[in-house]
Amino acid sequence: MATVSEPVLVREVRDDLWRPLKGASASYTVVLSVLAAVTLWGLIAWGYQLRSGIGVAGIRRPVFWGFYLVNFVFWIGISHAGTLISAILRLTDAGWRKPVTRAAEAITVFALMIGGMFPIIHLGRAWIFYWLFPYPNERLLWPNFRSPLLWDLTAISTYLTGSTIYLFLPLIPDVAELGRHATGWRRRVYRALSLGWTGSDREWHALERAMKLMAGIILAVAVSVHTVVAWDFSMAVAPMWHSTIFGPYFVVGAIFSGIAALLVAMAVIRKTLHLERYLTAHHFNNLAKLLLLMSLLWLYFTVAENLTAWYGNETREMQVFGSRIRGNFAPYFWAMVTCNFVVPFVLLGIRKLRTIRTAVIASITVLIGMWLERFIIIVPTLSFGRLPATWGHYAPTWVEISITVATFTTMALLYLIFAKLFPIIAVWEFETEPAPEVTRSVS
Amino acid sequence: MYLSGEFRDRAAVTRALRELQANGFAPDALDVYSDEPLELPHDVLARPSRMSFMAVSGAVLLGLLTIGFVYYTQYNYPLITGGMPLFSFWATGVVFYELTMLGAILTTFGWFLFESGILLRKGRAPVPAMASGAIYIRVRCGENQKAAAGETLTAAGAEGVTELGERA
Repeated sequence: MATVSEPVLVREVRDDLWRPLKGASASYTVVLSVLAAVTLWGLIAWGYQLRSGIGVAGIRRPVFWGFYLVNFVFWIGISHAGTLISAILRLTDAGWRKPVTRAAEAITVFALMIGGMFPIIHLGRAWIFYWLFPYPNERLLWPNFRSPLLWDLTAISTYLTGSTIYLFLPLIPDVAELGRHATGWRRRVYRALSLGWTGSDREWHALERAMKLMAGIILAVAVSVHTVVAWDFSMAVAPMWHSTIFGPYFVVGAIFSGIAALLVAMAVIRKTLHLERYLTAHHFNNLAKLLLLMSLLWLYFTVAENLTAWYGNETREMQVFGSRIRGNFAPYFWAMVTCNFVVPFVLLGIRKLRTIRTAVIASITVLIGMWLERFIIIVPTLSFGRLPATWGHYAPTWVEISITVATFTTMALLYLIFAKLFPIIAVWEFETEPAPEVTRSVS
Repeated sequence: MYLSGEFRDRAAVTRALRELQANGFAPDALDVYSDEPLELPHDVLARPSRMSFMAVSGAVLLGLLTIGFVYYTQYNYPLITGGMPLFSFWATGVVFYELTMLGAILTTFGWFLFESGILLRKGRAPVPAMASGAIYIRVRCGENQKAAAGETLTAAGAEGVTELGERA
């Protein structure tokens, strides 16, 4: 990934980053339509479940948590891509972060929106979702302030609010500038979103202070959110769940999958929006190294978690452990290890092999591996309860599979629409580079 | 009334701001407009901020309100807890933490809107028509200060000085 610097005039930056906002090519429209069609299919499947009842899904005693909860944990993990990475890089003043942050922050907001839907889908009777809210009533059923469900609700609501503001704040100068140049409905939308931004030093000062503060706050929230998701499991005295390291284990996994999602998203927008001169080999190289580091950390936690269970030799834990290592779930477990460690370690650990292409391949395998990890954590434990009489089997139905596939297309759909409406790279942040030029990297 | 000086050079902007303040113009009467954030030396046009204090205050306030709300609700709509205390602080700790953070987030955003003056509509001062890459200093001055302000801006290196109306 050697890079060669080549000056690019600052005025070109704006033209380049605004170009994707103009018009829509035929291929863009086709891709958008396909994604919308699959998303619609997912909505139809959910509609069928709402009409027929939760029985059309494969979740039943003893495996009450299936694909829906796997997807919930997976997407909440992906949401750590943006805000966490962006906040860390912003607080440490990493100069290379500038073309990466908005792409990452957008992932966070969309992934949280998707992940946050799953508890509601999982409820079955989604129309009583407000029972999750802590409102006082006389039936003494709700609210139960001690329930980890309430922890999830508050954690995810806080994170979604914070992430949306964190995405919106640095968008303001860009939409104000766009509002000055756009016409028609776009002009109205941009002007409304810019909130009357004029570019005064008071506004810039306030924006920079707010961004610094938000970066610190959002870091604390992001870590807590996935810790709370981990506690959903570890607070239950269930085999292979009741673990003190689940919090950090989940946070590491979330950052790991988040970086992978960011790398894939960056590769797609780089190619489709022709942003090769801004999203350079240098950015991919840095993120690939970060992905490799997280892969090693993930392996450390996975070994720590499984080795202690194996050495402890507790009967019920060994039942679940055995099903993962050499039983029904072994193919998924070893596929997970291959996807999350072997592939990234080989492709990214050997310097000669580390290119944009291999970084994207490793990221895709990590995303698959992390989804499998969530499955491996949730389903085997529920399949093998403490009493053998309660053991059971889980097989997803077409409804769950459709909804799961639709979440990925929804993510892509939202991302494509966002990239068409707003510059996916913060233009004003690029303009504040020390020299009035940016560097173009040529692989 | 307002005067606006157009600059292309950051050093000239710093010079002009220092000169204007030396000539008796308060920092409150001066504004700098640009299409990117300007890093000025600390002694030039300091803008004190209470954003951090407000964020902490908002966090503490919403956190305490949460604890109060949960405490009140638990005692007014008591769950059957099998002899355990009705209100469990530690089980409420996560909710308390998250809403404390939410308080900080909302206050930071609210204070950003307030401190930047971005939402001000009524009586908003006129804004210079911005050209790409240019930096503008807007000076609020009386009729008797107009000439002095204009001369200071020009002497510091302004490429043009224009008079803006009273209101936007």
